[in-house]
Amino acid sequence: MAVAVSRGFGLARPGWRANLDIVYTIIVSRLKIISRYKGMLLMEAFLPIMFAGFPLLLGFAIGGANAAQNFQRNTGTTADYRLYMLIGSCVFMVVTLMMWLIGYWIRREQETGTLESMYLAPAKRFYVLAGVTTYAFLRSMMIFVIALFLGSLAFGVNPLSGNVLLAFGFITVGFLPLWGIGFIFGAFILKIKEANSVIQLVQWVVAFLMGIYYPITFFPGWMQYVAASFPPTILNDGIRSSLLNIGNLFGGEWWVPFALLLAFSLILPLLGYEIFLQTERRLKRTEGVGQY
Amino acid sequence: MNRGHGLGREDLAQRLQTFWEMSKKTIVEFSRYPIAFVALFAQIFLIILMFLFAAIAFTDPLTEMEVTLPATTEGAATLDWLNQTTTVLGVDYGSFTVVHLRAEPAVVQSIQARSLEARELNAGLGQQIAGVMIYGFVTNMFLSFTLWEIGFSIREEQARGTLESLYLSPASKFGSLLSRIFAITIFTGIMCAAGVLMVNYLVGGLAFQNAGFALLVLLLSFSGFLGFGFVFAGISIKLKESAQFLVNGTQFFFMIFSAQFFPFGALRSLHPGIVDYVSRWLPVSYSVDLFRSSLLGFPAGYPELADPATEFVIVLLFGILSPLVGYVVYRYVERKARKDGNLGEF
Repeated sequence: MAVAVSRGFGLARPGWRANLDIVYTIIVSRLKIISRYKGMLLMEAFLPIMFAGFPLLLGFAIGGANAAQNFQRNTGTTADYRLYMLIGSCVFMVVTLMMWLIGYWIRREQETGTLESMYLAPAKRFYVLAGVTTYAFLRSMMIFVIALFLGSLAFGVNPLSGNVLLAFGFITVGFLPLWGIGFIFGAFILKIKEANSVIQLVQWVVAFLMGIYYPITFFPGWMQYVAASFPPTILNDGIRSSLLNIGNLFGGEWWVPFALLLAFSLILPLLGYEIFLQTERRLKRTEGVGQY
Repeated sequence: MNRGHGLGREDLAQRLQTFWEMSKKTIVEFSRYPIAFVALFAQIFLIILMFLFAAIAFTDPLTEMEVTLPATTEGAATLDWLNQTTTVLGVDYGSFTVVHLRAEPAVVQSIQARSLEARELNAGLGQQIAGVMIYGFVTNMFLSFTLWEIGFSIREEQARGTLESLYLSPASKFGSLLSRIFAITIFTGIMCAAGVLMVNYLVGGLAFQNAGFALLVLLLSFSGFLGFGFVFAGISIKLKESAQFLVNGTQFFFMIFSAQFFPFGALRSLHPGIVDYVSRWLPVSYSVDLFRSSLLGFPAGYPELADPATEFVIVLLFGILSPLVGYVVYRYVERKARKDGNLGEF
């Protein structure tokens, strides 16, 4: 009891230290849980290599000895198509994990019956979500680095020949819009419940739109605009253009996609959080958040 | 009472009735999750589209042609023009001048207008590769659903606590396993047909020959896949949650080594040993190869692993033996779990 009281907030309002502690506790608890499933982590690290491997084999079959030349001519990007696809697959993994981990976390809490209990805790939802999204980012970044390293060895490419610092900048800035998308996605799962199927569908829509195997210039005109206004596409394009030393979708200047991502970083997390809160309020008034 | 079997033994009609009731249960479950169903349909189209775009990125942007010109001054003038506008790979002089070249698609019509005969050498290659991809994808869909559905539904029954009760009923265990995949197989068939039609529309016509034979190969292959499904159902009872990783791994293994999205030639170009020491030893490879080769009309170089008769014998044996072996494995694991008392544990 004494321990519980000493660790609770009592009637006081939690300060910044307590809020930070919420974020930290959630990150640690999620990391502890995932450390029990080492096979899953291993599988996730290999998935981007598999995703990149299929189109590469298709490319060998179609292009033969001219695969690199054909790819460069058709896409107007680079002859280093192996690294092009590997980067696309790794960025896709980051994006999909951000959505999957947040959506699945909500669903899991609903199913295990702990979501409503969490709402009774004197912790602000923002910090709880910040903990989950930060954990999702840490896990996806770890997978990104491992997959890029192993994939580079498997495909015989060098991912460090381009502007690594700029790529790192893109990842850092691109994380915030993904955070916002994660909130929106979480709200959606809270509302419609069928997490698995929705996540699966959305992850393929994302993969299609962000062009993990091809530049979005392959799309018809209107679809190019839709895809280009999607933060994961800009993130993917930014990382690719910096690591491969090629032009980007927005005319070659690195700061254009960077500024766009920065703008999304300011808008999307706030928008996503607001949508999450609204959905949550509506659900609390009707069937309750724990129903699944 | 009147729907049970009492002390009597089940006859064929009763077995069929039980099977239908069990399958109906799966259909009712599906109908409760319409979003999941729509999502499944949509994601299949998205995957196909992604692979098609990836394939387009590697196609030869130039048209390879064999052009026949008259051996006259007019022909010589056309040859000069061809030298300026295209990449001439070789010229054969004789009673006619035959030019082998690579040209931009924009000038193909002008070449055809200026020559006696102009033949596109790489015409139809795109459709052939699209056929290899989509027909391989069809086998992948059936294999994936068989691997996932039986084991996954057993796992669900474990979690819900209904698996042990189910074993107390006098219903056929084989029928129970089969009914879990029956409905999804019909849906998979419809989805695959829609996917093939979409690719057919997008690439401007797919080869679709020997449909009857291909259907027989698909049925035999599906029967063979069932064997894997039964084994994985047994593994799910034994390994519980961890079985998912194994299914995932197996799925990717077959995707790559049974060349479900690309020709075996692509694997061979990486290393001939991959095909000779891995792919050739997998019956699934022969199912994939024979199914798509027959639908493509056995073009030159297809089937890639063996001649059609040999491949058919392998697929036939696979279709007959695999479900029997798979079921024996499943029953062994299940009996052991019942003896140990952990059938319903999850």
